[in-house]
Amino acid sequence: MTPSQFPVRLIAAVMLACAPAAAFAQAGQPANEQVIEPQVPRRDVRVPKIPSNDFVAGLFAGTYATENFGSSAVYGLRLGYHITEDIFVEAAYARTDVSDENFRQILPGGVFPQPKETLSYYNLSAGYNVLPGEVFFGRRFAKTSALYLIAGVGSTRFLEQRKQTVNFGLGLRVFLKDWFSLQVDVRDHVYALDLLGRRQSTQNLELTAGATFFF
Amino acid sequence: MKRRAFQSLLRYPACALAAALLALGALAGAPAGAAERVQVADPYLELRTGPGRGYPIFHVAAREEWVEILLRHTDWFRVRTANGREGWVHRTQLETTLTEAGSRKTFRDVLLDDYLQRRLELGAGYGRFKAEPMLKVWGAYRFADALTFEATVGQVQGVFSGTDLWHFSLNAEPWSDRRLSPFFGIGVGRFKNIPNASLVSALPTNANLAHASLGLRYYLSERFVARLDYAFYTAFVADTRSIEYRAVTAGLSFFF
Repeated sequence: MTPSQFPVRLIAAVMLACAPAAAFAQAGQPANEQVIEPQVPRRDVRVPKIPSNDFVAGLFAGTYATENFGSSAVYGLRLGYHITEDIFVEAAYARTDVSDENFRQILPGGVFPQPKETLSYYNLSAGYNVLPGEVFFGRRFAKTSALYLIAGVGSTRFLEQRKQTVNFGLGLRVFLKDWFSLQVDVRDHVYALDLLGRRQSTQNLELTAGATFFF
Repeated sequence: MKRRAFQSLLRYPACALAAALLALGALAGAPAGAAERVQVADPYLELRTGPGRGYPIFHVAAREEWVEILLRHTDWFRVRTANGREGWVHRTQLETTLTEAGSRKTFRDVLLDDYLQRRLELGAGYGRFKAEPMLKVWGAYRFADALTFEATVGQVQGVFSGTDLWHFSLNAEPWSDRRLSPFFGIGVGRFKNIPNASLVSALPTNANLAHASLGLRYYLSERFVARLDYAFYTAFVADTRSIEYRAVTAGLSFFF
């Protein structure tokens, strides 16, 4: 740099330095000059999105023993939600065709208007996993399982009548995948019926097997 | 008749199955690379075979190891370690892990007053509706700290007749930050009384319904609320006649 060039450059530099300050002054903001530029790596603050599978949908089939009228095949579906590792709630709906065949052999008219009448029920139950554990298939495979106790209330519709029903029982669930399990349920449905002349509380046992999907 | 019943049965499970498969598809469709990675900050992380404290611990991830979080089931997280082992870890152990950016994760426990952030609630109760057993289920959405919109379906099953009712209501809970908190609500709905078939010449009733209720909520834990309520129902059965019922129910609800 030659001495003659020096003042020109100095003036240019000063003008350049003053330009932003002048702009700030014109905008009416304080000239808050940043002395040190911090070298802070920006943090990634996104909220973790982790898929969950607390909800349950499933189908089941089995046998339902209507007291005094024999047993019949039952089909149903269930929807549930696992609240904690121990407690879950589920709603179930199922139906079966009950026959009064045994009565028709001695009473020609039978008890029901039709030889077969549909019984349907729904209920809301809460379950508790009492025995979490594993089920072993041979030497190589172990699958997680849970034995649970379950009880609930609901309604049974049979011969145009609806009966308040209490159910309780137990079940075993074996997880084949995180999202899929097989389960076996034994349930007693208790409600009052007056079909045979007097109103009596009936115990109706049900044994079902089901497939359940977690989503 | 049987065939029809069977067909309808077939249809419903088919729907449920389709819904389940769709949900599974959505799960499976999530990109594999999007799994959350965290670094273990505790001395070790215990990996269990299943999502529960009763399942055995089969592997341990050491401090400073990176693990991927794949799935959550209730309070348990399925993680994959760097060497490919997959197991379930409880949330409390993940609370101190570090993200890739070095910050702490927010796997903290749900606090008791978090219910104000939790909006959706489902509950069921049992009680007496004019001396007859009543069962009801409600879903509630809290849209303000002290105001809740609630939809209730109830069923009363007497010896001579059964009653179905549903109503929407608006509940106010003025001290909703208290553990024991009173509430009151008003609402409208529908009331349907169907006599049991063996009674001759009994007519079903289908009428509008209004109700007012007063109750008490007790926050049992971070997820559960016990509730006791007293409701006053008016069924407008005719232009000039209404029937009044009182019901007391006790129930339990939980937050999603």
